[in-house]
Amino acid sequence: MQTKNIRVGHGIVVCVPEFNHPIRIAERAAALDILSGGRLEFGTGRSASWTELGGFRANLDTTKQSWDEFVHCIPQMWTQERFAYEGQFFSMPSRAVLPKPYQQPHPPMWVAVTSPGTELDAADRGLGSLGVSFASFAEQEAKIKEYRRRMQNCNPVGKLVNNQVSTINFLYCHEDDQTGARIGLQMGRYFTYLANQILIAREVFPTKSYPTSGLLPGLRRQASAPGDANEPPEGLTVGNPERLIKVLKKWEACDIDRVNLVLNAAEMIPQEQVLASLRLFAKEVMPAFAETPAKAAAAGGSR
Amino acid sequence: MPRSGKQDVQVAAQRAPLLTGFDTEVWELPGAELLHLSFEIVEEPSEWLIPPALHPSIPTYATLSIARYPQSPVGPFALAQVRVVARAGARPRGYLLGAYTDLETAAAELRARWGFTIDVGTITLDPRHDRIIGQVQRGEQTILDMVLQAPEQISGSDVTYADSLHLIRMPENGTEKPVLIQVDPEYVFHNAQRGRARLLSFQADAWGGNNRLRCTSPITATFVRCDTDLPRLRFALRTLGQNLWKSFVSACQTKRYGHYCLCL
Repeated sequence: MQTKNIRVGHGIVVCVPEFNHPIRIAERAAALDILSGGRLEFGTGRSASWTELGGFRANLDTTKQSWDEFVHCIPQMWTQERFAYEGQFFSMPSRAVLPKPYQQPHPPMWVAVTSPGTELDAADRGLGSLGVSFASFAEQEAKIKEYRRRMQNCNPVGKLVNNQVSTINFLYCHEDDQTGARIGLQMGRYFTYLANQILIAREVFPTKSYPTSGLLPGLRRQASAPGDANEPPEGLTVGNPERLIKVLKKWEACDIDRVNLVLNAAEMIPQEQVLASLRLFAKEVMPAFAETPAKAAAAGGSR
Repeated sequence: MPRSGKQDVQVAAQRAPLLTGFDTEVWELPGAELLHLSFEIVEEPSEWLIPPALHPSIPTYATLSIARYPQSPVGPFALAQVRVVARAGARPRGYLLGAYTDLETAAAELRARWGFTIDVGTITLDPRHDRIIGQVQRGEQTILDMVLQAPEQISGSDVTYADSLHLIRMPENGTEKPVLIQVDPEYVFHNAQRGRARLLSFQADAWGGNNRLRCTSPITATFVRCDTDLPRLRFALRTLGQNLWKSFVSACQTKRYGHYCLCL
């Protein structure tokens, strides 16, 4: 099956020198943009787990700085014929970094937001806010409001401002609301349970660079909240199409531009059921948003 | 599902203390000094060191700590602990393999009140400006020699210590059942330092690690000065991962133990 319009969001590339050299990041992203016909959404981040960072023996104290340096340089590598740089985390003599991306001036850029305040880093740099933690309507709305305010005076790292906010959610859609909620909740909880087995940076390595435990505290709260056995928490997209439309409309009213939907966790839902959920979602839920302006195209690079 | 521990808890419980009840008073421990090192450990053998109720973290790791308490209800004492940090459900918990103290009366109280599997040894904690050294001797044998190198000041608010789980035996219907109890001290940090963790000598057998606890990559080391405590017991769980031990639920419901309890 070939797709024509769906965008390619690859999550994030870790902008930490022990993981990735920025030249390689620029090259790989440009190649993916070409292969997808200009549909890449370029996600950046720095990781928040010892599982990852410790594996590369990364310096946890400086991941925020290296991320900042990388996101300022990569768009220049894409848009300048030649690029030279003397920096803290990498340096290079003048070279042509090839290939150049398909989208002009370059793919829209995002940063993953787990630590509080990273959404403001995003706004200040003209980057999209790629939410990867779960939060209530009220929490998200307050963050988005501040993001929009700061974005007005941003100093963009690239030649394109991506002023979008994306959030994450679980999706399970079923004709029967209780069945949808039950299976969706099970999937969400299983995801949560699994995610908590990894070793977050803050758990083992004291540093100001990771002032919070990222997405896990929210997940742990969800994992143990008393009395939440059957009713989906606020804002979760599990249940029947009517419920999903209502929930997504509320997210829309919170000024969310996009929602990343987790469809399964460790294949605990059989593939046939996942596909049925997606088909029902496409048939019953998506038409309710057909009139929503396509901000993605407006923010993305031109093809 | 995540992997689970493979420890034979019936065998492990043979060296665990017998607790006849959960009721204990808080021990306030002001002015404590605590050296705490963490190391990644070899994964597969370490699964045999934790009960089936717990999941190994990814990656698996152990903490080695030495604390000096200048004030306590039994007088000054030192306490050294080795724990494998795992997950009780979704939560990080340090499963105690073995402990030593330098005061016999402290050992008796720690066994009886908080279920420490503990022996008496000689414990040294030597904070210097260039390093902090911790050593434990059992008889003439050095069973732990560890160093925090190149200390640098950090904020205490950045330091996190996992709560402990202790394996105990509880009498039940004329028999003894192995049970895990949670010991979750509070910390008020006055000073905190971070440095490189270095292990000079470690006899895993002396800590209940047998040949299955093998420290590999150092993660970090901290040295803190803090006020802490040994708290009232609030949580207990079955070693095999079933739901909360019912008698403890009943006990909690009487409010005798205060707070709340957790069902895993």
